[in-house]
Amino acid sequence: MEVLTIILQILLGITSLLLTLLILMHKGRGGGLSDMFGGGMSSGLASSGVAERNLNRFTIILGLTWGIVIIALGLIMRLTSVGDS
Amino acid sequence: MLSAIGRAFRTPDLRRKLLFTLGIITIFRLGAFIPAPGVNYANVRQCLDPSVTGEQTGIYQLMNLFSGGALLQVSIFALGIMPYITASIIVQLLRVVIPRFQELYEEGAAGQSKLTQYTRYLTIALGLLNATTLVSLVRSGQLFPNCQLPIIPDQSIITTLLVVITLTAGTGLIMWLGELVTEKGIGNGMSLLIFTSIVAAFPTALGAIWTSKGPGTFFVVLAIGLVTTALVIFVEQSQRRVPVQYAKRMIGRRTVGGTSTYIPIKVNMAGVIPVIFASSMLYLPALVAQFNTPTDGSPIPGWVEWINNNLTRGDHPIYMAIYFAMIIFFTYFYVAITFNPEEVSDNMKKYGGFIPGIRAGKPTADYLQYVLSRITLPGALYLGIVALIPLVALVLVNANQNFPFGGTSILIMVGVGLETVKQIDAQLQQRHYEGLLR
Repeated sequence: MEVLTIILQILLGITSLLLTLLILMHKGRGGGLSDMFGGGMSSGLASSGVAERNLNRFTIILGLTWGIVIIALGLIMRLTSVGDS
Repeated sequence: MLSAIGRAFRTPDLRRKLLFTLGIITIFRLGAFIPAPGVNYANVRQCLDPSVTGEQTGIYQLMNLFSGGALLQVSIFALGIMPYITASIIVQLLRVVIPRFQELYEEGAAGQSKLTQYTRYLTIALGLLNATTLVSLVRSGQLFPNCQLPIIPDQSIITTLLVVITLTAGTGLIMWLGELVTEKGIGNGMSLLIFTSIVAAFPTALGAIWTSKGPGTFFVVLAIGLVTTALVIFVEQSQRRVPVQYAKRMIGRRTVGGTSTYIPIKVNMAGVIPVIFASSMLYLPALVAQFNTPTDGSPIPGWVEWINNNLTRGDHPIYMAIYFAMIIFFTYFYVAITFNPEEVSDNMKKYGGFIPGIRAGKPTADYLQYVLSRITLPGALYLGIVALIPLVALVLVNANQNFPFGGTSILIMVGVGLETVKQIDAQLQQRHYEGLLR
């Protein structure tokens, strides 16, 4: 169990860093604060090239992995703490 | 109304957008319930129980509101959208200070996308900062001052780092989710996510009032909330229309212009931003006081005691007065940033427009400035009063400060709700019109 936890923790660290990097690589879409809370309508030209689409796919996969790893870690923690008490 | 909703779901394009938005919101809410790694969820649950902790202090109240209760649960989306909001506010404000930012802003789409990129980097940086603060608060037990259970049992450096990294990645993910909604869904993603968080806190807050105060107070609160909402909608929709006449011009063989339109100047042009500003500024003294409170039992300095007495409690007159004054100041400040009369009058001059009875150029700019500053006064007063409602209600009904129909939440809800419904409506009309023509 402990080996699995360590592996998962390392995986979590790597995926977190990668996820942050990938998200920063996206082009910003939100127009910032000015069109929040009732600004004008802003519909930017949606130019999703191949690169952007691949980036999206990678980000989704990485995000899913990230979520699953976190849930797995949480489950392991809960199971072990139940076993202790 | 109902048939319009049905029609919205029968339009394939719109249906896809609506479902996409709903899906993202679901992911966002799910993430708010997944505890961050290393956090003992059972202990958090016990600490959150109001019978153990008693009344919660106000410092994290706003942040908790914006993250939909995820902050106090120390979940993976604990930081919510707050870092992004703060980053946007900072970048907007820096436009006044740093000329390069103003240049970028005036450059148009390319420059603005660069500004957005800066905002994103800043968001991650702030997220890292906030995550570190949150984790250190949790580790020193200051997040729940009345609860001694260990939130993060494993105190090793590695676990702490892991939690910080995960929270930062969560902030980034929220930012991306919001952008996805803006791009592929309907409405502005960021504001929709804030809206979701606030609405999600409603049932619990209302339920708490029902159980603690009984049905009588519950219905009074509900009635006050509904009346406030109606008033807020009324003011949000009201605007002054400054007429603009465009001269007829010949471009090639076509006649262009000759129309008369108007510049809409809303009563409340700044939205809720002044309220958010003022409340985050007012949390600063409380935070400073908390850091300067000696832990070794030596006497508390006089100024810290003064802050603790006057500035940390929402029902104190001095607090209310400062809050009110700050909101008015920030309303004027933000309107001055977002609406530039000289720019508008320049644009009008370029396209041959003028306000009837007023010469183009500087007189027009002066006139617009005059109208703007006059109409902003009731807007600022209104914002201040609406923001004070929860504080007054706190005294009157003796309810929790986290009054569900509080000013900030109602302003955000109405603002975002109106905007989103307008966008759906616009798309619907587009479809319907097209269908009729064919």
